[in-house]
Amino acid sequence: MQRLFAFIEHNFHIILFVILQTICGFLIFSLNPYQQATFSKASLGVTSSINKLSSDVYSYWDLKSQNILLQNQISQQFKESFPQSLHYLNDTFLTSDTSMHRLFDAIPAQVVFNTAYKTNNIFIINKGLNHGIKKNMGVISSQGIAGVVLSSNRKFSAVMSLLNTNMKITPHINGQEYFTEMMWDNSKLNCLTINGINKLERINLGDVVSTGNSSLLFPKGIPVGHISKINNMPKSQYFELELKTATNFRDLEYVFVIINNEYSGLNDLLSND
Amino acid sequence: MINRITYWILVIGFQILVLNHLDLSSYIYPQVFVTLLLTLPLHLKKTYQILIGFGLGLIMDLFIYSPGIHMSACLWFVVIRMLILDRQDLKEHANNKLEYSVRTAGFSPFFYTTLVLIIFYHFYILWLEGIGNINIEYMTITGISSSLLSLTIIGVFQALKLNKYT
Repeated sequence: MQRLFAFIEHNFHIILFVILQTICGFLIFSLNPYQQATFSKASLGVTSSINKLSSDVYSYWDLKSQNILLQNQISQQFKESFPQSLHYLNDTFLTSDTSMHRLFDAIPAQVVFNTAYKTNNIFIINKGLNHGIKKNMGVISSQGIAGVVLSSNRKFSAVMSLLNTNMKITPHINGQEYFTEMMWDNSKLNCLTINGINKLERINLGDVVSTGNSSLLFPKGIPVGHISKINNMPKSQYFELELKTATNFRDLEYVFVIINNEYSGLNDLLSND
Repeated sequence: MINRITYWILVIGFQILVLNHLDLSSYIYPQVFVTLLLTLPLHLKKTYQILIGFGLGLIMDLFIYSPGIHMSACLWFVVIRMLILDRQDLKEHANNKLEYSVRTAGFSPFFYTTLVLIIFYHFYILWLEGIGNINIEYMTITGISSSLLSLTIIGVFQALKLNKYT
């Protein structure tokens, strides 16, 4: 302590100088308008850089919660947009339904396991029976169709990926539904094939393929992909189309499980036919 | 003591009433009052020197309305003066409680000290006034011309003092 006092006593003039210079600096940059403006400009540059850095760091740490928030928002938007499908189905199938009743719900989920390199690919999501998820429910990503629930336990569900040879969906192209099937032939990642569309049909490269009215698992208009290649087979009257999937299965991380609230009723009705 | 206070008042008055209103050129702003800090008594404690520098800067800032600028410059002036004087052999004069002048330090050391401090002071003031948008050409011409005029006036003061003693 004595050394400290001795040091302060010996260097008191330096300490005093620093204190007084600090006061001067404060006076210069607070009472002189020009210097104040210069200081504000300089400090704004520094503080904005620091703020940007801290914002970037914070954004990075906050990504997970933001993803969940976005998922919930998208899920809500799905719910709000489904009554249009409901209205169509309402006229067709259900006479007792009201316009306030939602046909589809969407539950956000995260992919915890995924394959894209096998013949029959599946992925597993972190939602199961506890969350109301059952077999034969549609699963979509934010880009488009992802798969169909195969089985569920209390916490997880296994989903048959679109990249599965057993997965078959009816294509809806340019406002017209084609009663053929699109499927994965295990040749290319994120590519499906569609056979059986007559060459008289107007099909162009880039045409969007989406879900139609013939599925109870997905709402109408969910994109499956777009036409990436058209093969004109010489001896055939049908196109051989190649479809690039909207969902990138290699990077699949967040999905929504589509719950058709009237699935059993509609399914029974269709079974009776 | 009274003589010294009168001398201080005269020099400060000369700076505020005459030199600050001298309209020789837009490139000439001599700061002669720093001669008061330059010629502070050699035996004065460093802490007092700093306080005197701060006080003198405060007086100048109050009259010119440049808050902090002359205070800061005067503080640096005093500290640099201390560093330079530490390298000069002035112990005997300090013991005799003499002030720093041509007579005590000799012409060359005094001229060297004055030149360094005056040039520093003028350039520091110009830098602080134009901070953020400095015109190098204007700063160089103004700094050198103002420093030369200040050196001349301080030289005249020293010559007058020297004549008084001889």
